[in-house]
Amino acid sequence: MAKNKEKQKEPERGNDFNSFLKLFISVFIIVVATEIFGTKTFKIGPGQVVLLPMLFAVIIGMLITPDLLGSKIKALKKVISMQEVEKAGTYVMIALLPLGVKYGTLVGPNIVEVVKAGPAFLLQELGNLGTIFIALPLALLLGMKREAVGATASIAREPTLGVIGEKYGISSPEGTGVLGTYLMGTVFGTIFFGLLGGYAAATGLHPLALAMASGMGSGSMMAAASGALAEAVPAMKDEILAYAATSNMLTGVTGLYSVIFLGLPLVNFLYDKLSPILSKKDRGDQ
Amino acid sequence: MSLNFDRSLEYLKMLIVVGVLVLIGQRFGYGIAIMPALPGMIIVILISFLALTIKDSFPNLKFPAFAWASLTALILSMPFMPTADLFLKYTNEVNFLGTTTPILAFAGISVGNKIEKLKKLSWKVFIVAIAVFIGTYFGSAIVAHIVLKLQGII
Repeated sequence: MAKNKEKQKEPERGNDFNSFLKLFISVFIIVVATEIFGTKTFKIGPGQVVLLPMLFAVIIGMLITPDLLGSKIKALKKVISMQEVEKAGTYVMIALLPLGVKYGTLVGPNIVEVVKAGPAFLLQELGNLGTIFIALPLALLLGMKREAVGATASIAREPTLGVIGEKYGISSPEGTGVLGTYLMGTVFGTIFFGLLGGYAAATGLHPLALAMASGMGSGSMMAAASGALAEAVPAMKDEILAYAATSNMLTGVTGLYSVIFLGLPLVNFLYDKLSPILSKKDRGDQ
Repeated sequence: MSLNFDRSLEYLKMLIVVGVLVLIGQRFGYGIAIMPALPGMIIVILISFLALTIKDSFPNLKFPAFAWASLTALILSMPFMPTADLFLKYTNEVNFLGTTTPILAFAGISVGNKIEKLKKLSWKVFIVAIAVFIGTYFGSAIVAHIVLKLQGII
């Protein structure tokens, strides 16, 4: 019996290794090419746009997938098929860890300053809720219904997805909403924050405050936002990265509870107040 | 406790793959030679491995492995820790931006199975999501700016 099982596994293993090799070589080429190309910065108006190698890497990575360039170029689809796409997903989680370690080494030496800024760190976590006041009215004006509650309760990383999925069900309108923001964040989040991070320095908000704000979402969003900000304000590089990493760690602790106890009650409260005013067409159908 | 030898081995293999990518990437991007950076990378991989092990051991804590990795490195590098000097000396050879490029290359490929789903979303979701991004980022930046100012830090 055991032998039989092993035999069945063998071709699968070989296939698995091939798939790994295809993924590895693709990522290898992307990394080497984008690192050689290097960081590009240019000025637009008052701000600076910082294009880091990681930004090019995410765009190239996306382009070579089966539904984009793969659907045009058959040979490419043979290299990166859905099997490699799935595998890449597991590698993201693993590849984030060395970055996590690096962030820790940036916070450690600055730990005294970071602790002194403790109140700012804690309160800015509440600032994340600010998004509800902007995005919810907009969603209602655009004609969204209960989807708006899921879409705007938070930046919709995995913890929020879990909370809303459990509370309303992932196929409910709220679930559809949260999935929408989640998908957008997953696909465009790093690109968006990579561009915003460098440019935000021009807003007049202090780089350390912007650094804290960079920690609001996933590890890669934080890396994109704080990496670009650090390149735009090189004199404060280490502090910026340390503040961003601390804020992200804190979000890791508080994020889930903030959605359950603050974000969702607030978004539901505002929904009840605003939807009769902003979405006139369906007044009273609830 | 749900430690599993096969899974641990798999983690270690994947971490080594990522480590190789970072070492080669930073050789080209930042001119850091591979051999001098190797001890630092081994330390980084070991801490990452530790983080995964802690996360799998305490699944109820819901604290991501990424945060365990940061926290471990943070503790080892605090100024009053005896480990700080040596630890930082080696890990400084691993470039911060160098670690980000492989992540995003994998991340880009990994969203390949979401493109079709994304195409089905309405343009409204796109606009609302951008508003959520901007609101979250500046909401927290504005609060942070005010509190840091009140504290006299900036």
